[in-house]
Amino acid sequence: MVMPYHQVNVLTGVKGCTVIEDAAKYAEIIKKAKRPLLVLGPLLTGNPFGDKILLEYALAIAAAGNIPTVATANIRGKMLEMGATPDSEYDVIEIINSLKKPDWPGVRNEGNHDLVMFFGIRSDLGNQGLSTLKHFAPHLKTMTMCKYVFPHANYSLPNIRKDEKWKSFLEELITKLKEEE
Amino acid sequence: MTQLEEKKNSFHHDHIWEVIRGDDQWEPVGPTPMPSPTDLRNWDMRLMKTYKPFYAPFCDLCCLCTYGKCDLTGSRRGACGIDISTQQARIILLACLIGCSAHAAHGFHILHYLIDKYGPDTKINLGDNVAIEAPNIRLVLGMKPETLGDLLKVTEYIGQQVVHMLDAAHTGQEGSYLDYESKALHIGMLDHVGMEVADLAQISAFGYPTSEANVALVECGWGSIDTSKPTIAVVGHNPASSTNVIDYLTASSLMDKVEVGGICCTALETTRYSDKAKVIGPLSHQLYFIRAGIADVILTDEQCIRTDMPEEARKAGSALIASSDKACHGLDEVSDWEVDDIVKAIVEDGKQVLILDHVKAGEVAVKTAMALAPKRRKDLITLEEGMELAKECKTCGICERVCPNLLQIGEGLAAVAKGDVTPLEKLFNQCLGCGKCEEECPRNVPIFKIMQLGARKGTYNVRQGRGPIMDREIRNVGAPLVMGTIPGAIALVGCSNFPDIDDIVDIVEEFAKRKYIIILSGCSAMVAGMKRDENGQTIYDKYPPDFDQGGVLNVGSCVANSHITGAVIKIANIFAGLPLRANYEVIADYCLNRVPAVGVAWGAYSQKAASIATGCNRLGIPVVLGPHSSKYRRLFLSDKADDDWTVMDGRKKELVQTYEPSPEHLLYVTETKEKAMVAIARLCLRKNDTPAGRQLKLNHYISIYKKYMGPGLPDDLQHFVRNDKDLPIVYKREAMTYLKEVGWKPKPVLTLPTLIGTYPSKVSLDAVVR
Repeated sequence: MVMPYHQVNVLTGVKGCTVIEDAAKYAEIIKKAKRPLLVLGPLLTGNPFGDKILLEYALAIAAAGNIPTVATANIRGKMLEMGATPDSEYDVIEIINSLKKPDWPGVRNEGNHDLVMFFGIRSDLGNQGLSTLKHFAPHLKTMTMCKYVFPHANYSLPNIRKDEKWKSFLEELITKLKEEE
Repeated sequence: MTQLEEKKNSFHHDHIWEVIRGDDQWEPVGPTPMPSPTDLRNWDMRLMKTYKPFYAPFCDLCCLCTYGKCDLTGSRRGACGIDISTQQARIILLACLIGCSAHAAHGFHILHYLIDKYGPDTKINLGDNVAIEAPNIRLVLGMKPETLGDLLKVTEYIGQQVVHMLDAAHTGQEGSYLDYESKALHIGMLDHVGMEVADLAQISAFGYPTSEANVALVECGWGSIDTSKPTIAVVGHNPASSTNVIDYLTASSLMDKVEVGGICCTALETTRYSDKAKVIGPLSHQLYFIRAGIADVILTDEQCIRTDMPEEARKAGSALIASSDKACHGLDEVSDWEVDDIVKAIVEDGKQVLILDHVKAGEVAVKTAMALAPKRRKDLITLEEGMELAKECKTCGICERVCPNLLQIGEGLAAVAKGDVTPLEKLFNQCLGCGKCEEECPRNVPIFKIMQLGARKGTYNVRQGRGPIMDREIRNVGAPLVMGTIPGAIALVGCSNFPDIDDIVDIVEEFAKRKYIIILSGCSAMVAGMKRDENGQTIYDKYPPDFDQGGVLNVGSCVANSHITGAVIKIANIFAGLPLRANYEVIADYCLNRVPAVGVAWGAYSQKAASIATGCNRLGIPVVLGPHSSKYRRLFLSDKADDDWTVMDGRKKELVQTYEPSPEHLLYVTETKEKAMVAIARLCLRKNDTPAGRQLKLNHYISIYKKYMGPGLPDDLQHFVRNDKDLPIVYKREAMTYLKEVGWKPKPVLTLPTLIGTYPSKVSLDAVVR
């Protein structure tokens, strides 16, 4: 069992995440999904790579995969500043509450989502929300984009110590998502 | 037929009648005096039909019995048959039981202490301006307590219920998560009763401020402590010992020669007793202050005390006196020793002691502090020393991995090594003060010592805890609150596990400026005063202390939270004229549907906080929590606009689908203060708002949304606009365009919305009409 970066997220259970380091594998899972969803959190205003804020990477992922977005917390304002309009607004707990209902119509009214990606949510709150989905939403899979292990997700990145490595992962993911089948 | 009438001619009936003095006709006895765990179950089930329990399991296993460990992941069940939802609800019940017990036992202890001192017939006296002295007790038990002896009967009832509910958590008992939640709601309700007992006793017997709003401002913060004087730090919640410190100092004319500062709620209790005492700071500053060694004596009582206090006190060279049977810390009890012998053992031999005689504990604390202080140095670290120590840090990141607030401590230390303390000042405000970072550091960097450089060492202020809201204040604000022209009453309560300490000030400021009523308690009340603006003013300097629009007031410690629910209850009673006595469903229904009160527990960490919030929820008060609180495992969420928002129109006596999700949730976690502020404004909406009131509330909701979420309108605005009269003038054109786009249709406006009549209850619809 892989240890999460933050000890508050240590798994006390038997079903943990699959850690994936390969961006191509991540892209493959996303592409296979029929109705993926990208949930965006307030930490995306951070600028760990020194060039552009994380939100730009997140929006590039959404664009590359034609993935609808949910703005949580106060990230909406920054999205609008950058010319992006979220498909929907919820707080993270509210979107999780909706996702756990199999018959929820989803943010585009096309049916509930089958793959939900979380990016930019503080890890303790994010992992708690993922716990809800692990236990109560067997109809969907979850994935995280932050540089930490989220034990309650289905698919998580490893703990990435070097931000450059994380940046490379995100860039490669965007590239792979853009590639035609 | 009421529950009590059904039980007529039984021992149970006679017992209740005797305890509540049923023959006293101050009000007719309502349907649920001294309710059993199931008397209000239907109300709970009705609440949970809309506000469904939402679980985020913190642990996938159950480890409570020797069948286990049992994995409950997904649809698995434990060996006893329990599923993951029911297990979460069971843990919630246990948390509420612990929380309720902490307050009730505080009340029980202080009552015994005060009855021993003053006698059981000592009158409850809250001054001339508080006639409804015990709204929670009147409402729940149906009793009008007059003496300390009466309060003892209340604690006996709570004790009986706690035992009963603890039993329900045994393996092989309750099997429904909804029933566990109903029990948790029951215990949460009783928690407010227990808190009320404790504070009524304290106010009456200690002579705390009451029946006035403009109470004193007391000094707050590290800088308020004159380190040249002998210093006693009182830590915890129960003032039995700390008040004796004050008494001894006063009797010995030493008050100006010794510093008494408090950490956590004892600070608020002690400053209510004497405005010469100081508030050192909240729970999150406890370990910092202790390790700084400023206290010559640490006097602990109960709750929220570091459990490693003996070790920490010894490392700091401070004397330690424990004074509660609930937190003995393994120390030798010396209650029977002569005072001078105890002082000698502490000063000469470094003995740490347990003294359960509070008078003696007070005297020993003072004498020890005066003897020890001249022998001790209290120097805080210098920047040069800090820079040298910080250079030991190699930013390996282990401290960050164990930090419960996920802080990037290494970056702060790296800056200090270069002589820059600015990042550390930010970190200090975010730090929860647990000490995990230093414990795990492989290079033994004294992080806490270095963090002293980031501590706010100024002197701030906090208003004394004022106790209950006065009846005339309720009369003044009842109508505007219920009609919506005062947009809401917001209570920021409790502990200090904040994502950032300054969040509290920012939230208070935002809503006080907008003329909401702001009520504070506990650690939140302290930190609200620990920031000065560009003019050097704290929020207590800037806003009036009245329970009125734009007022910012501090009710007191944890147990004073009962005055917040008490005020809401009194609005239903004094303004709306609804009888209180054992009339819980009617009053809770009124609070839910008509009183725009919202609780905010931004830094909640304890079982007490879980219990307080659960009690608020049963009374129909929504509560917003900070991000750490997702670890409480359970929220109460509606399905927003997708839910069934049918209520009874009390005047027409017919069911009406309102299509309006108000209040939208009962227990809700947000990640950032910005989102919390938007949520608070939205949660103040009530179905009975007048058009003017709704306009005002929507004006704030939209304005806060635009300020923190960016341009445009909230995407749920259409759910809260009943007709065009609800639209704030300043946003009317923009809103009408939006409403047209989303296909908005007018909704019914109700003046008497109620859930009574929508679920099985013995309460008749006529009971809500006044």
